[in-house]
Amino acid sequence: MTSRPLRTRVNGTAVERTVPDERILLDLLREDLRLTGTKRGCDLGTCGCCTVLLDGRPTLSCLTLARSAEGREVTTIEGVTPAEGLHPVQRSFVEHGATQCGFCTPGFVLTSVALLRDHPHPDREEVARAISGNLCRCTGYTKIIEAVLAVNGGKPRGD
Amino acid sequence: MHLDPFELHEPTTVEEALELAGSLSGKFDYLAGGTDLLPNYKMHINLRPHLISLERVSELRGVSADRIGAMTRLAELEEHREFGAAYPGVAEAVREVATPLVRASGTVGGNLLLETRCFFFNQTYPWRQSLGFCLKADGDRCHVVPQKERCYATFSGDLAPALAAVEAEVEVAGPSGRRRMPVEHLYNAAGDGILRLSLVPGEIVVAVHFPAHARRARAAYSKLRVRPSFDFPELGVAAAVWGAEESPEKVRLAIGGLETYPRRFDADTDPLAGAALTDAKVRTVAEAVTRRVRPVHNTFLPPDYRRRMTEVFVRRTLTRARSPSGSRAA
Ligand SMILES: Cc1cc2nc3c(=O)[nH]c(=O)nc-3n(C[C@H](O)[C@H](O)[C@H](O)COP(=O)(O)OP(=O)(O)OC[C@H]3O[C@@H](n4cnc5c(N)ncnc54)[C@H](O)[C@@H]3O)c2cc1C
Ligand code: SF4
Ligand code: FES
Ligand code: FES
Repeated sequence: MTSRPLRTRVNGTAVERTVPDERILLDLLREDLRLTGTKRGCDLGTCGCCTVLLDGRPTLSCLTLARSAEGREVTTIEGVTPAEGLHPVQRSFVEHGATQCGFCTPGFVLTSVALLRDHPHPDREEVARAISGNLCRCTGYTKIIEAVLAVNGGKPRGD
Repeated sequence: MHLDPFELHEPTTVEEALELAGSLSGKFDYLAGGTDLLPNYKMHINLRPHLISLERVSELRGVSADRIGAMTRLAELEEHREFGAAYPGVAEAVREVATPLVRASGTVGGNLLLETRCFFFNQTYPWRQSLGFCLKADGDRCHVVPQKERCYATFSGDLAPALAAVEAEVEVAGPSGRRRMPVEHLYNAAGDGILRLSLVPGEIVVAVHFPAHARRARAAYSKLRVRPSFDFPELGVAAAVWGAEESPEKVRLAIGGLETYPRRFDADTDPLAGAALTDAKVRTVAEAVTRRVRPVHNTFLPPDYRRRMTEVFVRRTLTRARSPSGSRAA
């Protein structure tokens, strides 16, 4: 086993750790750093539950080596949640019933945060395309799309 | 799923990567975005003790008017407006790959060199063990065509047919220097799901190059998949047409998702040059191509359906590519 030092930033905090070369980012977050908000669904790229932001871009942490975070900034769901209350995207998800079992929610929230940062007023089609790598087995997506559309005052039902 | 230990190497130049490859002969895989390799490693498929990451090799990056570096992320290509305008058929294929999240990491080089796929291969170790391992990993027989001693795993990349249709080329670097070849020559046209490439061990895909005429093509790509996101192509048809609709100079057709390699059908499309590409001709070519393809039962949809859809998709894609309004010519 080969290990080496990794220097990265997670949710604004510098992290220095010695990690084995084969360490996956998802495992670093959940097991080493105990940030269990990032979920392990399929572990193979087919669900989006493990989505984090890597230098601001939604990234599948289950298919990313921890090494790839060297010198970069990782943001997890813990990092977008304010000390008190909720992020506007989280609040909108609650208000629109866009979360049921909640397992997919961290991934959807991070994907949506990045979408709304780059495109503050997406239309329904743009939202659907942006979240098309995140699976939800509970909500049927309609409420998720409505929640994202509503964040910046979009009309949830109007197209 | 934890990965078995491996040693990761992070060269910064092509030459350094090739040197490492030489010293680790046969005991390594190159790692690009990892979206194909890492799922296979997690399922304990053909593990190697060393990975040579290409992430830091700056020569493999960058998109310009006539070149895409192999390490270009698919998402980067998708957002590149000039690229999309210059090569609309390729841009269509890029948008159809996997999901936005996979495209954020997946690269152009990795897409071209994607491992071939099979229902009996892309499975966990215990799954494969319980049925009995197959030729492509750990075993000595094929579950798809048991009478034969060869592998029929399907080439399932979306970009290769789209690039082959516009006659793009790849630049590869290897122990004995650099060479360029048409994209379709990357693959073993003898049809082998295991020895799937024509590359010599250690060769690196450096970039895709577009000859000047690639820009003048009207091109289109159509993909058959079960869900409009996530799924690999069950069939991917790319068409390119040069010249006026009434008398095209050249027509190219390339198909992926059906056999062990993406295939061009020049013998069927060469006779189309010089005379109007009528509906009747499009139908005749579609029928001829369909008679030649040989999908096997190793993906989600049955091979007979994929064959019948080949005819439909060739017709639709050629029809789209032939008309100036379908996909723009420069
Ligand atoms: C859920 C899911 C859905 C997918 N759907 C699709 C789909 O619809 N269509 C599709 O085409 N693909 C699909 N893929 C596969 C894959 O994500 C893409 O093909 C991607 O472009 C592969 O690129 P990569 O950089 O991640 O490859 P990697 O996994 O890093 O590499 C793939 C292979 O290529 C080799 N390699 C990579 N780059 C080079 C290079 N420059 N020189 C030499 N060797 C190299 C590696 O050694 C490895 O064998 C899917 C993957 C997932 C997880
Ligand atoms: S086609 Fe046969 S040998 Fe090849 S992966 Fe499938 S089962 Fe294995
Ligand atoms: S856990 Fe990463 S995509 Fe499912
Ligand atoms: S809320 Fe249960 S999977 Fe999405």
